[in-house]
Amino acid sequence: MNIDSLSQINSYLSFKLGDDEFAAHVSKVLNILEMINITPVPRSPEYMKGVVNLRGTVLPIIDTRIKFGMTPTEYTQNTCIVVMDILMDNDTIQLGALVDSVVSVIEIENEQIQPPPSLGSKYKSEFILGVAKIEEHFIMILDMDKVFSSDELIMVMESTDEA
Amino acid sequence: MTIDKFRSKFIEEASDNINDLENALLILEKDSTNKELIERVFRVMHSLKGGGAMFGFTVLSEFTHNLETLYDQIREGSRVLNRDILNITFESADHMKILLSDENLTSAENKKNHEDLFSRIAKFIQNKTNFQPDKSDIKQNVSDSKLKSYYVYFEPNHDIFANGTNPLYLLDEINSLGNSKTFAHFNKVPPLDTFDFHKCYIYWEVILATESDINSISDVFIFVEDQCKLEINEIANEDLTINKNFIENVAILALERKDVGIVEINKLVKKYGSSEQAIEKIEKNKESEPIKVSAKENTISSIRVSSDKLDHMMNLVSELVTTQARLLLYAEKSNNPELNTIVENMQKLSRQIRDNAFDIVLIPIETMLTRFQRLVRDLSHELKKNVVFEAIGAETELDKTIIETLTDPILHILRNCLDHGIELPEVRKKLGKPEQGKIILKSFYSGTNVLIQIIDDGAGINADKIRKKAIQKGMITENTVLSNTEIYDLIFLPGFTTAENVTDVSGRGVGMDVVKRKINELRGDVIIDSAINKGTTLTIKVPLTLSIIDGLLVSIDKDFYIIPLSVVNKIYVIVHEYIADKFNNLIVLDGKQYPFFSLRKELDYNSENPLNERVILVTYEDGMVGLVVDEVIGEYQAVLKSLGKLYKNQEIISGATILGDGTVSLVLDSNKMIKKFSKKIELTNKI
Repeated sequence: MNIDSLSQINSYLSFKLGDDEFAAHVSKVLNILEMINITPVPRSPEYMKGVVNLRGTVLPIIDTRIKFGMTPTEYTQNTCIVVMDILMDNDTIQLGALVDSVVSVIEIENEQIQPPPSLGSKYKSEFILGVAKIEEHFIMILDMDKVFSSDELIMVMESTDEA
Repeated sequence: MTIDKFRSKFIEEASDNINDLENALLILEKDSTNKELIERVFRVMHSLKGGGAMFGFTVLSEFTHNLETLYDQIREGSRVLNRDILNITFESADHMKILLSDENLTSAENKKNHEDLFSRIAKFIQNKTNFQPDKSDIKQNVSDSKLKSYYVYFEPNHDIFANGTNPLYLLDEINSLGNSKTFAHFNKVPPLDTFDFHKCYIYWEVILATESDINSISDVFIFVEDQCKLEINEIANEDLTINKNFIENVAILALERKDVGIVEINKLVKKYGSSEQAIEKIEKNKESEPIKVSAKENTISSIRVSSDKLDHMMNLVSELVTTQARLLLYAEKSNNPELNTIVENMQKLSRQIRDNAFDIVLIPIETMLTRFQRLVRDLSHELKKNVVFEAIGAETELDKTIIETLTDPILHILRNCLDHGIELPEVRKKLGKPEQGKIILKSFYSGTNVLIQIIDDGAGINADKIRKKAIQKGMITENTVLSNTEIYDLIFLPGFTTAENVTDVSGRGVGMDVVKRKINELRGDVIIDSAINKGTTLTIKVPLTLSIIDGLLVSIDKDFYIIPLSVVNKIYVIVHEYIADKFNNLIVLDGKQYPFFSLRKELDYNSENPLNERVILVTYEDGMVGLVVDEVIGEYQAVLKSLGKLYKNQEIISGATILGDGTVSLVLDSNKMIKKFSKKIELTNKI
């Protein structure tokens, strides 16, 4: 399946960071790994956790929670590494994003997706493609390329008691 | 490199070019208007002409000259490419192959063929009518240039049997050297009543066509030399044994007379041994094996492989080395002696494969020389400067990726040398220097690195000027104290240029920073040394290969790091207490003082120190620096993997490698790391 036909699919992988639920389009997701030992890279930004060995290649790991302005990920049984393809300066790179837990793969029709609220949201709207309401709770659909190719933190507001 | 090597390289390239030519011609036969292909044919002719002249293949050069003219006309549209031209070009292509192996046309047939083709091509150019070649001209370049014909006269003494020699065996041996026709003479056999069957009365004449030389023929008779009459003469540069006319006539003479003799043979060679013979041969070749049809191909001493295949192979080798390390680890744990033996053998083999594979992708620096020479030639002309370019140690080999990446930076450095370094002839004269400037490209091995120096004898770099410029640009302040080397380093900063006039050659201040970055990407370094009016030496230091390094595996806390073995000198055990309170970062080892850095501290580890630590003395610039780690595990062959774009700012780490147990270990770039650490110290000292 090529990228075009992949992007026609309405499947999203939803995952949790703290209490908030996010989703990434499946065309971005390559793999979900269980938590493994991460080799830290000294003198690098805090959200860059280090590297792991993914079948012979070196995969950089990003602590998504820190990137989102939350406290660093505490490793639990549910902690996962979501391996993603990220478009960065016209290059596709692979990275692993630490998430608190992977929820499921869900179908979200385009009609269900509403534009991100420009006001009152904790998160910068430019990183959010839209919000979908599934079974009485909201899932924020993320623009993964933007989230991970940007150097800044995603949150605008002071974090209060996320964790 | 001697001229012979250049010549063999030219032959290799020319063979490729001729192959290319043939391919183009084949397509042109179907589509004779294809401009691109005509251009390609022209280019081949052109490069054969030029290269031929340069490497002493004068005949080839002259020969291709006319063809070049011909295709130039076609290319310009003043002539139409037709079948006749194509045919003669094909013939010429075959002939060129002969010229490569027999450049001076030692063989009479080749010479005739050459003259024939030459005049036909010349005719093409002169009268623009299409020339119809004679039937007799068809493909004559069939002779195997190395085959020569010899006349051997062998008359054993009557008593040759006495020492157990059988002359027939000798004849068999002669026959085995090549194609031969043997004529036995019985005229000296006495009448039966006086016949002694212990004596040999027969003698022979042999026409032998062989690639062997006269010495190897006479070697056959080495044990009977003084027991026979032996005569060996070279009679032709072709295979006369397949020349029917010649052989028949020799046979007739052999029957008529008692022996033919060299004089008669030579007469016959003159009579029959030329063009008719070639036609004979074509006829013969139709029914017999095609062995002698093609011109002797130059033995292929190298093959060309697409770089994709090589890259793939390198990747596989890297994987192999990694897997091998895992296997070794597993075998050591298993305590199975048989498994251990197998793994040890595997280890040896994979090491050899690795070394071999690395050797394959190494190419000599001279492959980029042509571009440099051209640049110096053209640019010095343009700038009205008199410059000679010299390459020393161009046979030094480097990974092909490194060579590819280095070409552009070196071109840029050369441009700078020519533009800013070498002065105009008048200026040089005034300064008492020879009018002709000199740029030397010197390459040599230094440990696991290769150093490439670009040395010019030009104006040199004025450190004060750079300093002022940097202050003016706000890069440094008036008070900054910098050594000369540090000042030269400023040149590599983006946006820096001191040239008063910005030319189209250089001086826009883009470039030197790119040069530095490119070289850094190769885990290399570049250093400038200069003296005013004496010249500038720019040294590029790059690792031999990019993908595997021999390293020393060390641990800090729970993490593993690799320090390139090439910089490691000595390892000491040291009690933590001893270095804990050193504020000046100096340690005394073997009675000498060394600066040191605790990696534990520098790499931000907060856990508690072990009681005993290890100090690794590594080479840094001119001296040595100690690096303190928790443990030294041992030597490790690291297959380097990039940390990727996300860690591109991570200077102190040159890459990562995967250890036998699957965990990732980081490879430290000791030079950059120490540079970075020491800057911090200077800074804190100043504050």
